[in-house]
Amino acid sequence: MAADPNKLGIFVTSPQHMRHILGIAKAAVRAGKKVMVFFTFKSIHLTKNPQFYELTQLCAVEDIAICADSYICEGFDNVNDVPRGLIDKQMRTQAFHGAILDECAKYIVM
Amino acid sequence: MKILQVYKSEPTEDVKKLVEILNRDRDADEFKLYIGEPNYDILVQKIFANDKTVCWW
Amino acid sequence: MESLKVYILIANRVYNDGIRSGLGLAVENHYAYPVIMNGEFPRFSNYMSENIAWIADMEGQVFSCGAEAPTDLPEGTEIANISLEELGEQMREADFIIPYGLPKQSHEPPAACSE
Repeated sequence: MAADPNKLGIFVTSPQHMRHILGIAKAAVRAGKKVMVFFTFKSIHLTKNPQFYELTQLCAVEDIAICADSYICEGFDNVNDVPRGLIDKQMRTQAFHGAILDECAKYIVM
Repeated sequence: MKILQVYKSEPTEDVKKLVEILNRDRDADEFKLYIGEPNYDILVQKIFANDKTVCWW
Repeated sequence: MESLKVYILIANRVYNDGIRSGLGLAVENHYAYPVIMNGEFPRFSNYMSENIAWIADMEGQVFSCGAEAPTDLPEGTEIANISLEELGEQMREADFIIPYGLPKQSHEPPAACSE
């Protein structure tokens, strides 16, 4: 699949930049771009930030996901505690990051 | 090749050295996220105007 | 699908999970190069050692930059030394550069999390 020139991928690896993630996602949507986001390792704690739900509303349902293994490793329940705004099948593997690299013409790490 | 260097915090000496090498003979731009209230619209414009973005710690 | 060259820079001892993330890309047929900066090495559990070996099997490589890589790792688990200048030159050919997690801490870890 060729990368979409109007799609921005955000790979979230840090647990402390929700303000920037949301700011970038909102600006991208204002500019008519699509946003695809993956949270991994300790950044999955950001799913407990109220702004996470706001972020999910800026992305297509299939374009935002978190690493299920990271979520479980950090002690959360991936069955009974799916973050608000996320659907259960978006608890994904690192392959979702690979999909971001393939599908998004532009990319930033947060 | 157009490359954008984004900084979430003040770059260390290691980061400055790597950026110097990465930017050599390239059309390079930068954006500092750690100063004041960032203008995310400008950042997104820059991301889409450049071929590659590196976002440092 | 094009195989991409991806460098994952690890500057903080807590974020050696970047190696697992690199392996995730390697199994998607990309070239993964996790780089442990300034001696922020992980605990070399069986899981971690296997991941490092598997990245090499998938034509990637784990590097150490700024500190000598340990030489007493399990067989098949190799970390190659690379200088900052060499790393910069190699990353000029990268498709993606991922400074992973958090930057280096100012202080050594307290006893509560040092083992």
